[in-house]
Amino acid sequence: MIYLDSAATAPLLPCVKNAVSEILEKLARAEVGNASSLYSSGVYAKELIETAREKVARFLDASPSEIIFTSGGSESNNTVLKTFENKSVAVSAIEHPSVLRPAEAYAKNLTLLPVDKTGRLDLNFLENFLEKTPAFPNLISVMLANNELGVLEPITEVKKKLQRVLKLRKNPREKCPKFHSDLTQAVGKLPLSVKQLDLDYASFSAHKIGGPLGVGVLYIKSGSPYKPLLLGGEQENSRRAGTYNLPGIVGLGVACDYCFENRTWEIYEKKVKPLRDSLAKSLLEKIPTARLNTDLENSVPNILNLSFPAAEGESIQLYLDLNGVQVSTGSACASGSLEPSHVLMAIHHDPESAHNSIRFSLSLETSPADLEKVIATLPKIVYNLQQISTIKLKEPKKCLTKK
Amino acid sequence: MSNEKIKPFAYTEIVKDHFLNPRNFLMGDEKNFTYDAKGTVGNPVCGDQMNMYLKISSRKNPETNESETYIKDIKWKTYGCASAIASTSALSELAKGKTLEEAEKISAKEICDFLGGLPEHKFHCSVLGHEALKDAIKNHQEKGSPKTP
Ligand code: FES
Repeated sequence: MIYLDSAATAPLLPCVKNAVSEILEKLARAEVGNASSLYSSGVYAKELIETAREKVARFLDASPSEIIFTSGGSESNNTVLKTFENKSVAVSAIEHPSVLRPAEAYAKNLTLLPVDKTGRLDLNFLENFLEKTPAFPNLISVMLANNELGVLEPITEVKKKLQRVLKLRKNPREKCPKFHSDLTQAVGKLPLSVKQLDLDYASFSAHKIGGPLGVGVLYIKSGSPYKPLLLGGEQENSRRAGTYNLPGIVGLGVACDYCFENRTWEIYEKKVKPLRDSLAKSLLEKIPTARLNTDLENSVPNILNLSFPAAEGESIQLYLDLNGVQVSTGSACASGSLEPSHVLMAIHHDPESAHNSIRFSLSLETSPADLEKVIATLPKIVYNLQQISTIKLKEPKKCLTKK
Repeated sequence: MSNEKIKPFAYTEIVKDHFLNPRNFLMGDEKNFTYDAKGTVGNPVCGDQMNMYLKISSRKNPETNESETYIKDIKWKTYGCASAIASTSALSELAKGKTLEEAEKISAKEICDFLGGLPEHKFHCSVLGHEALKDAIKNHQEKGSPKTP
């Protein structure tokens, strides 16, 4: 089986598997217990959690006290938006639903910041909005890398614009908005420092970097406002109630350490990016109607998104699966809600491009032979579906030519 | 159906077979098939489209000895998910050789049963082909009498 959906869940790292198994063994023998208990097995558990916290903090360039363990990226994102309940919030139009939905539910004023054809935030719109808006936002949330396209968002530029406009507005009561970034697709793929990025809040999930499922991180810069989502426990200094997910947290720490020690972002750049780029090149050559949705020069190294006009995405996905290749699609047919991907809608403004989109996401384990299999099978699949299709193909058109 | 979620493939073997080896589809350009009536339906749910092409003829009913119009040949094209492809393929098998009155009566449930069931959120796809077929029959009736063989 060829697994090209690591952006959904990356294969569990062997070192994580060992660490988690060891904890489970110890839990079975009651050598380690509930970290909130004061007797020795509880103290031991607490030690393990604090060690994991140090590892995560080192990885993100934060202090351990700024790290909160959650059940994953979705909870982390929800918590940040909850903190800004009844406030003015601006988020990019291509955020993950776990930012968009709570933003809609909690914010008093919500602005969706549009993106350009590559999915990169429209900085002119942003500047204009910041200059004209009567109420300066209290929170801005922009992901560092988008999960469907892989595109990188210009966070540093956004922060510069903010500072500039703030001076311009000359309103002493207005403060610089707090800044949140969903780092889920960027962790391990890019060198990262929450200090350098100057973030107030950041989120990510362990399972995208080979850690366990159901555990994640919320970074809160010390001194930033905070409202817990889960109440009813003293855990995490009363910032997040709920029994500690000990195996998950230990596994998360090990996964972060693995990325940090091996500088995985360098391996992604050296090994995975050339593979991804050559997959794009071969598929665009063999399937001339295909359309590139990922800006190869401004994206995480492991994600490639393509549209195959007149061939529906779920059908492509199933054909590939029957050929032993697993990928994902932005097609409405494949989503439980039967809604097309909001990300592809935001960049192309038509449901069609989503309908026939396929996302390939590579891992450190992806081999050239894996991709050769895709290159050998996909053109035929797309051709067949295009033959059955009611849609007549127009002239081949590429959307991202080099600027 | 209760263990549907844990099946390695979300569809039944029959769906899979019709998806991989669709019957009676119109390959390439629609000019490749001469037809008497065409029906089209667009699916407002997820944006899929389907065309149905009928070759219609008349024959003598051996029992009543009366002349009847029937579907001599049927082809289709679809732009949709595996379930849409499979259910149209199934419908084409069910409709071929039937009189127009009989063909019109084929229900979505019949298609679904023929395929051994479809996941719940995929029922709307099985109605697609069936609507396109009705549309083709309607267009044909509006156009006038069938060609004699
Ligand atoms: S045709 Fe879209 S879900 Fe079946």
